Amino acid sequence: MSNRETDLKPLSDDFKSDTPIWKRLSYAQQRKLKTGGLYGLIGLIVVTILFPLYWMFTTSLRPRNEVLTRTPTLIPTELTLANYERLLFFSNFPQYLENTLIVMIGVVVITTTLATLGGYGLTRFDIPFQDTFAKGILFGYMFPAILLAIPMYILWSQLGIINSYLGLMLAETALALPFSLWVMWKFFQTVPPSLEESAQVAGASRFRTMVDVALPIAKPGIVSVAIYSFAVSWNEYTLPKILMPQSFVITTGIQAFTEQNTVMWNQIMGATFLASLPAFLFVYAFQKYLLSGFDPGDIG
Amino acid sequence: MPQLKRVQDTLYERLSNRSLMIVLTVVPVLLLLTFVLILPIIWAVRASLFEISLFQQDWTWVGVQNYAQTLTDSAFQASLWRSMIFAVGSVAIQLVVGTGIALVIAREFPFNKGVRAVALLPYLIPTALLGYVGVWMFNTNWGIINSILIQLGIIEYGLEWFGNPDTAMLLLMITTAWKYAIFVTILVLARLQSIPDGYYDAARIAGASKWERFRDITLPNLKGVIFIVVLLRGVWMFNTYDIISVMTNGGPGSATTTAAIYAYEVAFENYQLGRSAAVSVVLFVILVVAALIYFRVLEPQSEVRTE
Repeated sequence: MSNRETDLKPLSDDFKSDTPIWKRLSYAQQRKLKTGGLYGLIGLIVVTILFPLYWMFTTSLRPRNEVLTRTPTLIPTELTLANYERLLFFSNFPQYLENTLIVMIGVVVITTTLATLGGYGLTRFDIPFQDTFAKGILFGYMFPAILLAIPMYILWSQLGIINSYLGLMLAETALALPFSLWVMWKFFQTVPPSLEESAQVAGASRFRTMVDVALPIAKPGIVSVAIYSFAVSWNEYTLPKILMPQSFVITTGIQAFTEQNTVMWNQIMGATFLASLPAFLFVYAFQKYLLSGFDPGDIG
Repeated sequence: MPQLKRVQDTLYERLSNRSLMIVLTVVPVLLLLTFVLILPIIWAVRASLFEISLFQQDWTWVGVQNYAQTLTDSAFQASLWRSMIFAVGSVAIQLVVGTGIALVIAREFPFNKGVRAVALLPYLIPTALLGYVGVWMFNTNWGIINSILIQLGIIEYGLEWFGNPDTAMLLLMITTAWKYAIFVTILVLARLQSIPDGYYDAARIAGASKWERFRDITLPNLKGVIFIVVLLRGVWMFNTYDIISVMTNGGPGSATTTAAIYAYEVAFENYQLGRSAAVSVVLFVILVVAALIYFRVLEPQSEVRTE
């Protein structure tokens, strides 16, 4: 027992010292490890994000025997578009898509118009109680869908707008409008009133300066608000589920695919992919606008 | 055509009256907000004092009975607790992962723009549909996750992820965090970029180590943004309905029945609309408390000039 220690080889100076391992590496080695670590981390992030998307997309291209298997292959051995054919021509998906589109267009038009006008008015006219408005708008932004859905179900039923496009549009506007109004309010504050004033001096009426001077400058803000309200409406599940229980939008309609004898996962993933596609395209197409008009860091 | 122009000019002239312009710009949006945000809450308060049958023909006055029933219902108390657990767990993951991604992306490396674009993708998938992707990937028999774990030899048989109360809750947290971490990233990144480089240079000259620079410069600057994230995301996660409805619908048993799922069940499975209105009012009160903290601590309303 006692002479165990002597059996061991003497430790080298390096290992005897108190210097942590890190410091014992040369500067070049440290750098290599650091870059390696950084790339490893980036790789991990990218894979974690992309793998579920990859799996969703490839599942939608697989035939049934490749989906309902205990040993799925990472790369599909057989590709098919049959799932999309089913979705688009032999299911209710087009109907869901149409409903989603109609409601979305309504929400975008109502939200964008009212937020733009309201943002302009709140900035340019000396309206009392602005502090209260500001707080109210931010409070409205915090409202979660489920909190509104049940009261709206009761109220909308009495008003006779349950199961209607109008009812759902108004409901989703409740989610999109507060933040949109906030964005436009802040946006118009960055547009100097001097431009409009000089137009007025040149003889333009007050209304004309709004239409021809202020609104064109506000275009980036208007576009970002339009995209935001599109995204809110496109994403919404709670409100359509409760307020439109008899006809479906995409998010609520997919439930039907899970109620068959065998769940058609390849079709569900196909529908998910199709429904995500517009959001991907929109946001990337308008990224320039989003970045210039809408700084998400402004939230709150 | 000149005539049309003149008509337009006269019309614009007429509309240029100050009060008329206020009516045209501010009043519509305030009216709509009143109709879609304030009126439903008033209606909920009113409805919560009645017993309402499914088809709403008759409202029977019951006073505060709905509140008494709700607040003493142990299922409701448990659901509030589960909402809390879900919110804390999900927001914690979002915060750590989101901030981590922001710190990585803030560095310079090749393909930085590409990585930023990729990081945005999860935020664009409709939440409910993401729920289906999660359910599919963690499917007991055919899910890819079980298949990978079996091939790696970690498990022998496919796990029933959604049959176990703990893993079901955990998966809800992970799936939501997968989507919303980028929300944190965007906020943190904007804040990071607003920290003047000079701070770091000064600290470096003063001999501060990397960790000290992070602790004494980066973290204090992120405090505000972290507070916003915890509060806003916390409120939203606490009230999450969509993805829970899709992935577990409150199960197994009632292991993931959060307050939002509970409210839905009371309304549309037990057909007690009056009582579900009472549940909504209770959730509203919780939201008000969160909002008061928000306004008190951050004064976000001061971001617009409101003299």
